[in-house]
Amino acid sequence: MSDHISGPRAIADPVTDITDVYAFPSPESPRHLVLILNVFPYAGPSALFSDAVTYRLRVRSASIAPDKRAFAVGAEEFTFDCTFDVPAQGLQQGRCTMPNGEAVPFRVNDENGGKAEGLHVFAGQRSDPFFLDGPMAGKTIATRQLAFKPVGSDRLYGKNVLGIVLRIEWATLLKGGPMFAVVGETLTSGKRPTRLERVGRPEIKNISLGAKIFDQVNRDLEIRDMYNNEDAFRLSEDYVGAYRARLNANLAFYDGLDGKTDWPLDAHGNHPLTELLLADHLIVDASKPFDEMSYFEIERAVLEGRTHATCGGRWLNEDVVDSILTLYVNAGKGPRIRDGVDGPITWSSKTFPYMAPPNQPQAAS
Amino acid sequence: MTTDGTIALLNLQAQIDGLEADDMIESRVCRIELITLRGLLLGRIADYERAGEIAEQLVRDADTDGRCFIARARTRATFHRFTDALDDLDRAERLSVDVETANRERAPILQALGRYDEALAILEEAEDRRENFENVAALFGLYAERGKIDVAERLYLESRFRYRGVSPFPVALLDFQLGFMWMNEDRLDYARTAFDAARRRVPAYAPAQGHLAEVEAELGEIESAIARLRALATSSDDPDYAAQLARILGDAGRDDESRHWRRLAAARYDALVTSHPEAFADHAAEFWLAAGADPEKALRLARMNVEVRKTPRAYALLAHAGWRVRRIPGDLTCRKI
Repeated sequence: MSDHISGPRAIADPVTDITDVYAFPSPESPRHLVLILNVFPYAGPSALFSDAVTYRLRVRSASIAPDKRAFAVGAEEFTFDCTFDVPAQGLQQGRCTMPNGEAVPFRVNDENGGKAEGLHVFAGQRSDPFFLDGPMAGKTIATRQLAFKPVGSDRLYGKNVLGIVLRIEWATLLKGGPMFAVVGETLTSGKRPTRLERVGRPEIKNISLGAKIFDQVNRDLEIRDMYNNEDAFRLSEDYVGAYRARLNANLAFYDGLDGKTDWPLDAHGNHPLTELLLADHLIVDASKPFDEMSYFEIERAVLEGRTHATCGGRWLNEDVVDSILTLYVNAGKGPRIRDGVDGPITWSSKTFPYMAPPNQPQAAS
Repeated sequence: MTTDGTIALLNLQAQIDGLEADDMIESRVCRIELITLRGLLLGRIADYERAGEIAEQLVRDADTDGRCFIARARTRATFHRFTDALDDLDRAERLSVDVETANRERAPILQALGRYDEALAILEEAEDRRENFENVAALFGLYAERGKIDVAERLYLESRFRYRGVSPFPVALLDFQLGFMWMNEDRLDYARTAFDAARRRVPAYAPAQGHLAEVEAELGEIESAIARLRALATSSDDPDYAAQLARILGDAGRDDESRHWRRLAAARYDALVTSHPEAFADHAAEFWLAAGADPEKALRLARMNVEVRKTPRAYALLAHAGWRVRRIPGDLTCRKI
């Protein structure tokens, strides 16, 4: 699953478990960038945001690094912090604090959301837009063979999450750009906040980092809670070697699934995607028009030494698992690798708040 | 700071509901854990029974998957079927569940059986391997139960320090255990503080409210205790609250009210001793020794309880019951309950 259930801590408390982060130019307006942070996999109808958690979206200006193999991320950061109250009379109130310090109030599950100059915010229960055949992804690792079927089975079908949607006028609220790096986080509230989870790209912790058996350095290490603790924009020197070794091993495994090597390792055993993925943030170009199939296109352009053509980022309806599998297994040089699950129960919409309304419990069953 | 207890309980319910239609083994195992946790917090025996049913079905559906036996072991241990639970853990290990996972479940069962040295060995090994909240808290629970106050207090503080989450449940459970330790030491003010801390974190935490009421009654705060217990006796299907309420009302001379709750508790204990004898023999014996006023019945149940687990507490209960019917020498009553 994308980032659902991504480590012991996330499993222990789903209200802090980020399932996905999305970033895309608004389909309605090129002046706006949309950022989405989803938490609480398999949320039942009574699910609420925690009053002890800050739900944060971090944005920094980004550009293509001089060596043209990665991105240079700016030091100045723009954060959008959403916090929530204890519900009163069955209603939960929240607020989004913008980079300029202004707090925008809203009511949870109110589709009109809250508005201020440059920001439109929604938070509430929605249909989980993510889809994949999770059991066959697991079987692929266990059997070391692509195990996906033409018609797969999606455990997330008809499930709900708690979603936070920000539509921001990027030229007003952000500086730099038009390319931005985006990360979602959950943190403890209070004077000394502690990071609980962080997510940038999809399927980093589960598909890319989760399997231990190929890792020759830390074969028995559950690496994901450590990884979650890290600042996405500044990995600690102490543990980056462990993440690198795990990614190198797992990416090499995926590359070999079609019997040929599309991603030759360098002299140090590093996979060509490892450094890009270690910089675990979405890269989105707000100046490009909305695109439905643009995940990792900017990164691929960098790898191929060409100018990117799309907004990159990540749109809600993209079959991102197929995109990732194809990237990892054949570098896009072969047939598209399909997991046999091609959509969620309901497609997301191109109008605010974008994510489809929550599924009824009957639909879930 | 932890999540408000009301939100956390709604989210626990949301987790259970969200997994309702999921037939995958890990989802069913997860549901068993969540329903058991809800039962523990709300004092709902029906939840324990439901978790047990799901676990039995799970083992029938997938009897070659060790995870199912781990899940069933948990539900069996909840109803004090300790031998059956240990058998399940052995079976899980044979089905290639790793020894660390099996031992994590084995330690509290050994502790409940009074096999403290074996439990301690497992818990110390786990703590040596990983000094995280769960392992330190488990060690605290063992030392607290054994009345090793100094060590327990140190471990309590250390486990609080190591807690990194925002869920209020692990901390409330820890505070409850601390309160129970102080209650057993007759340090009622300390016990009240700890039970109240657990209650403030999770207002619906029934055992914390129930024990807080018990302490309040001991401290002479009768009306507060009665108010708490009346709410619990009405909402919970666990007869302990009605039993306590009957006792306190009786002591206060409010005999008509006491009789009402006594009747309810007696009928419920009789039903539960029939359906889950191992789990309710001790609580029922305590009831028949107090508000139930039937020491003979209490003695039969206390004997049954000692057969299930040979802990100091079980022997003390037997001694107390024996003393009440004058069949066991009174000097055994000095054992601490």
